[in-house]
Amino acid sequence: MTKLRDLAKVIRSKNAGALLLTLDIMFEDETTYKQVCSSGALSPRTLAPLYNVSDNQIEVIPFDVALAIKITLPRVIPAGSPGESDVYGAQQHAPLMDIEIPM
Amino acid sequence: MKPIRIMAASGMLGYGFTEEAFKNGLSMGLDLIACDAGSADPGPYYLGSGTAFVSRLAAKRDLGLMVKGGMEAGVPVFIGSAGGSGSNPQVDWTLDILREICEEQNITPKVVVLRSEIKKEKLKSKIENDKISPLGPIAPLTLNDADNSHRVVAMMGVEPFQEALEAGAQVVIAGRSSDAAIYASVPLRLGADPGLSWHMGKIIECGAQVIEPREGQDCVIGTIYSDHFTIEPAHPDRRCTRTRVAAHTLYENPSPYYLKEPNGLLNTKEAVFTQTDERTVKVSGSLWEPSDKYTVKLEGVKELGYRTIFLAGIRDPILVSTISDFLQSCRSRIAKDVLALGVKEDEYTLEIKVYGQNAVMGSNEPVKNSQAHELAVLVDVIAPTEDISRAVCAKARYSLLHTDFPGRMCISGNLAIPFSPSDFSAGNVYEFNIWHVMECDNPLEPVTIEKVDLFN
Repeated sequence: MTKLRDLAKVIRSKNAGALLLTLDIMFEDETTYKQVCSSGALSPRTLAPLYNVSDNQIEVIPFDVALAIKITLPRVIPAGSPGESDVYGAQQHAPLMDIEIPM
Repeated sequence: MKPIRIMAASGMLGYGFTEEAFKNGLSMGLDLIACDAGSADPGPYYLGSGTAFVSRLAAKRDLGLMVKGGMEAGVPVFIGSAGGSGSNPQVDWTLDILREICEEQNITPKVVVLRSEIKKEKLKSKIENDKISPLGPIAPLTLNDADNSHRVVAMMGVEPFQEALEAGAQVVIAGRSSDAAIYASVPLRLGADPGLSWHMGKIIECGAQVIEPREGQDCVIGTIYSDHFTIEPAHPDRRCTRTRVAAHTLYENPSPYYLKEPNGLLNTKEAVFTQTDERTVKVSGSLWEPSDKYTVKLEGVKELGYRTIFLAGIRDPILVSTISDFLQSCRSRIAKDVLALGVKEDEYTLEIKVYGQNAVMGSNEPVKNSQAHELAVLVDVIAPTEDISRAVCAKARYSLLHTDFPGRMCISGNLAIPFSPSDFSAGNVYEFNIWHVMECDNPLEPVTIEKVDLFN
């Protein structure tokens, strides 16, 4: 098992508009990217509990041409609404970093 | 087909670019110099207040160079989503800067202004005719939402920009615009392939995002040929890489493959990215799927009240170890104290965040036992008036400073308050309440087009 943070080059989060949060995981080489994709460790079922959403609210999209995996889910509240802690959504990626990937 | 060359001056008007890149780009022969000035990222406040999130000085510097270069070379200059949210006051703010620039440079460009604020009456008639639908996880828009809205803008497509050129515009200052449309408008007008035009527009709209080395914002060049386009930095010493260009459709998008625009969908699933030399990336295979309806995105905010904040540190180890229970007792004390002022609980919101515990991720925070030896507490009060907002914040401050907790030794005060004054007025508070799409009878329906004489 290897932590995702030790396999990826970029792990980032950002708003995709005011209602969605999008997380990108990017890799430097194709082999690692393919291994992580096929490991099954990054699926709606495994990721949903990390963000307190249900499986069908979360989308995982592999993007071969950039060796990247995109994860899109609803924000807890619209960006900047009362109770907001991260208007840009730029610091919501940390739970991904410690995901264990069977390699 | 003659290549069509577009320069994005910067990822954001006011974020800057190098003069060296700009001059070099200009010397390549351009069909358009443009810059996106907008983003919803900084949140609802800017659309609500109609103010810019970049400084006037920075916007003036960038716009001044663009207008000067454009006028000298005979190339049109477009600014989209002026002032940040593209609202009317932000368009006027940009026009005011342009007026000052023209006076100083002694130039008189033909200026066309495109505005896209949507009035409540228009919204309501669209709601009644079932022409507005949610864009993502948000409830359908009601007449009540329209009444409660403070300001709403529609995101225009390429057609108003093209119309402005027909009217002879040398400088276009536009309200809320699709980022890609600002750049795609010119190649589409000249008959370029729509898939390539939109994809090129999408890639260059963030400026130097696709450039290495990353040394701040800078100009990027997109050139459209008959069956492909190229992306290269305007700066001679920088380069665009295949990875950065390919990765760009990921950025701030829910999907890397599809981009919804007013009159269709950009599909980049079959797009091929090739590094043609050290600094240039070639893209082909981008597809355009036209839609039968013309829809514009609506962004709207409602006003919630007035915000006061208070920030302080906690270093006492006993209090650090019992912070959750302590805050719970403070909350009930604050509620009682505020009620005694005649302010009911549903008249305000009080949020207390603990940095060092879970302030950033809230209930999603996976670390349950923080090892922090010091914490920051942030008190955030929203109330209908400044007076009530300040009063609630003051009660919260007092309670946090002096409430007892089990084993308390620091009986002269629980907080390290870093500032005097301790409480800060943060102005009006707004919330996005409209994030929908609106069907239009024609592309120009949500936009007013106006030729402007800057000096009359």
